[in-house]
Amino acid sequence: MLAGMRRSVPVAAACVACVVWCFGERRASAYESEVDASVAAQFYSLESPYGEPLLRRRRYTNTLGIALYDLQGDRSPRGPVLSFRSRVRLDADLGQDPAERDPNSARFVPGLEQAPFDLMYAYLEGDRYFGGGFGFKLGRQYVADVLGWWSFDGAEVALATPAHLRLEAYGGLEQRSGLPLLTTPRFQADGVARGSRDDLRSDQWTSYLNQSAVAPALGVALETSDLWWLHARVTYRRVTNRDSVVVSPFLPADGVLRTVTEDRISTERVGGSLRLQPLSFGALSGSIVYDFYAGLVSQQAVALDAYASARLTLGADYERIVPTFDADSVFNWFAHSAMTSYTARSVYTFSRRLDAALDFGAREYQTLGDPATYATTSNESAVRRELDPFALLFGRYRFNDGSVSLRSQAELGARGHRVGADVTTRKLFANGYYDGLVVLSLYDFKDELRPDRYATSFSYVLGGGLRPGGLGDRARLGLEWEHTMNRLVGQRYRLLATLDLTVLR
Amino acid sequence: MKRQRDFGLHLLLAACVASLLVAWFAPVRADTSMPAPAPSATTLVHGLAPLPGGRTVPEAWRPPGAQGDAGPSPVIFPAQRLGLRFDHARHVALGATCATCHDKAKTSRSSADSLLPAGTRCDGCHGTNPRTQTVTAGTESIGACATCHLGYRPEDGQLVLRTSLPRPHLRFDHAVHAERGVDCAACHGAVGSLELATVDQLPRMRACFGCHTADRPNAGKPSRACPTCHLTERDTLLVTSFAEGRLEPPRWLHDAEHGPDWIERHKRIAGDDSRFCASCHAERFCTDCHDGRLRPRQVHPNDFLNMHAIAARQNSPTCTSCHHEQSFCLGCHQRAGVTMSGPLGNIAERGRFHPPPAVWTEGPRGPGHHAWEAERNLNACVSCHTERDCVSCHATAVVGGYGSGSSSGRRTDPHPAGFAARCGRALRQNPRPCLVCHDPADPELASCR
Repeated sequence: MLAGMRRSVPVAAACVACVVWCFGERRASAYESEVDASVAAQFYSLESPYGEPLLRRRRYTNTLGIALYDLQGDRSPRGPVLSFRSRVRLDADLGQDPAERDPNSARFVPGLEQAPFDLMYAYLEGDRYFGGGFGFKLGRQYVADVLGWWSFDGAEVALATPAHLRLEAYGGLEQRSGLPLLTTPRFQADGVARGSRDDLRSDQWTSYLNQSAVAPALGVALETSDLWWLHARVTYRRVTNRDSVVVSPFLPADGVLRTVTEDRISTERVGGSLRLQPLSFGALSGSIVYDFYAGLVSQQAVALDAYASARLTLGADYERIVPTFDADSVFNWFAHSAMTSYTARSVYTFSRRLDAALDFGAREYQTLGDPATYATTSNESAVRRELDPFALLFGRYRFNDGSVSLRSQAELGARGHRVGADVTTRKLFANGYYDGLVVLSLYDFKDELRPDRYATSFSYVLGGGLRPGGLGDRARLGLEWEHTMNRLVGQRYRLLATLDLTVLR
Repeated sequence: MKRQRDFGLHLLLAACVASLLVAWFAPVRADTSMPAPAPSATTLVHGLAPLPGGRTVPEAWRPPGAQGDAGPSPVIFPAQRLGLRFDHARHVALGATCATCHDKAKTSRSSADSLLPAGTRCDGCHGTNPRTQTVTAGTESIGACATCHLGYRPEDGQLVLRTSLPRPHLRFDHAVHAERGVDCAACHGAVGSLELATVDQLPRMRACFGCHTADRPNAGKPSRACPTCHLTERDTLLVTSFAEGRLEPPRWLHDAEHGPDWIERHKRIAGDDSRFCASCHAERFCTDCHDGRLRPRQVHPNDFLNMHAIAARQNSPTCTSCHHEQSFCLGCHQRAGVTMSGPLGNIAERGRFHPPPAVWTEGPRGPGHHAWEAERNLNACVSCHTERDCVSCHATAVVGGYGSGSSSGRRTDPHPAGFAARCGRALRQNPRPCLVCHDPADPELASCR
């Protein structure tokens, strides 16, 4: 608890400073600023499928964003722009049992923190320099492309050329847990658990790898620009593991755990994506990712959309994914086969207010070889396939001050089924001063691998909010009550309170 | 008894929810403070619609880019209220040009400018006299108030229906376009061939891209950047929320129609061109789901806690787009006692999670056997198991496992097809996974080197 409180101090101090700054005396400045904060408190309980333990979640999440715009001075429509954006987050769970964080306890969970505090992003961004073609970002930032949603600390430069091409290059350090850099594990490659082992003996939790050295990363991307009917992007990224980590899963007879210490690949991937939309008849898009360490094409996708009429769009999607992991992980060599999805889509727009979509298809799972012998490497060519059908139906009706939407799904197959629907209604009152939310859900599910896990579940959510004036430039107070009932949980309740606040100066 | 009480409680809850829904959608009493327009005393058939009799306007007469659409977006061009009838074609036939009435258009620099002619512009021909406080009708029929003012009755006196053309939610500089020789029809279509010009004759974005093609400023061509025309916030993101609705891209623009199934297909668009998404969405919009701390209901329906295991086995790639399995999933599973090598205090009294050993580990390697399930969807395994769980059997005997291949008597070699051809490169790039299962002196490692 004390550790959590200590971690809360910086964010609380930052909040106070921002409030003082926002509501303090106004002075003329060339730049513009924006401060926004969100606070969410959640209260619910999570019961293990075995009944015990019961996790009481008393969660408090606070984010604080600060942005400065037009740092370059007066804004010109074609001139350079310079801005700064940042956001920090405190995500505390006050319902944790302290024993879960005590390495000497039988309930210790490695990596668990009561109040993790992270810097989500903070970067200085410049654009349209040197005649408009040069831009940069400096600081903790995101990269989103066919290689995934990723974050690093460093610099990115971008150069737009007259030849319909834009070149990007970036380098820095991957955001990883365990380092004293206000980080989360969200963006590191999967397959291994990493973090600080400062409080652990070397023979404790050997699968929880030490993370105390930074992980250098670099990448380049080349993409088309200036062509509305075509967009293509080729991107390459490489991340290096530099930490000394334990290799031995068990304590050897000599009592000395083996380690690897040299620099080695974490991930090295190249990806490409393409969207071709020559006329208003439709669009063709595709993507592919090759993982150099695993030595295979880990993702490939093709999608075709046809605009059959002004109201109807028909589409077909193909996607094939083989799981890949951080190169430190043994799971890379357990990953054999792909999951392939085939989807047919149709979207019909009845009017500007009413539209609906139906997606259906199947997922194909492959296993190598004959089930009786396939673990022998001599019989790797044979493939067995299983198909799981699925269908999704969406509908949406939007009226002047609200909407009603339907999301229903039927996911079937040998491993279980989920069939059900949610109906969500949102409505504004008093010109948006109040808002309301009602969600009704009914699902039937069964886990075929665990025959006792089946139920028909009904849930409802009642929520509301108000936007008080005089509390910043944009503010909303919200409250939601969620109630779920089924044979597995009996009655389960969740309460969510939120406050969103924005101040512009 | 308890069951009856629970049933009663559920019935009461259901009734409450139903009542709320009824109250929610109950019709609001109509506002009767506005008088309904009076019927016209004169039978006038022209100028009430784009074409007489409500005929469909030929596609060629509509604005460029409008072909096949149902009109411009009401979010950009809010609904208009036309209290006049007007026959453009007749005026053109009598010699009028666009500039005769809309003379301000060539010098207008803002979309907020009203480009309709003042009533005085009509007087010269129609014989009306507005120079006194009381407008006097002309002596001929075309000077009658009801000739142009819809629903006008003599007893209405000086009251006529108001014409309201709300400001479009755009930046637009007519003067610049006029200076560059863009004529009226290039954006508005054949208004001169129509009678009444409605909102349908307003420009379409698709046609703008005929000229606005430059991806970066100072390229000598009109910019195709969104803020050239669209309103922006301080951070240069587009303003997307208006009283008339939410601004969303049409399907022909980057194939990014935000239809009802957009949540299922947005990754394809964002993965290819995230800069396009960043025209309207700041990081926070993405992080709320992809690195969020509140369950997004549009992704995870109610009671997802109970259903997520089935969902993960069916479609795990969607899980990994937001969740790190070895921290987010594994950490929670360890706390809940559903891992193999989790905290002993959480798993001491539990039952078995997977099917019995006769099926899961000892049985034939068909569906239900753990090897089959791992091949089928390895991500589902990684969300609960650490590598130690797998290595305890799959490692070579020297390291503590059962060994591999037939020499150990158990076929526990997990390597995939074609592994021998790429093991050398993998070993050089990162030897750790090899050394987890193999002793450094293992001859199999030597063969890879």
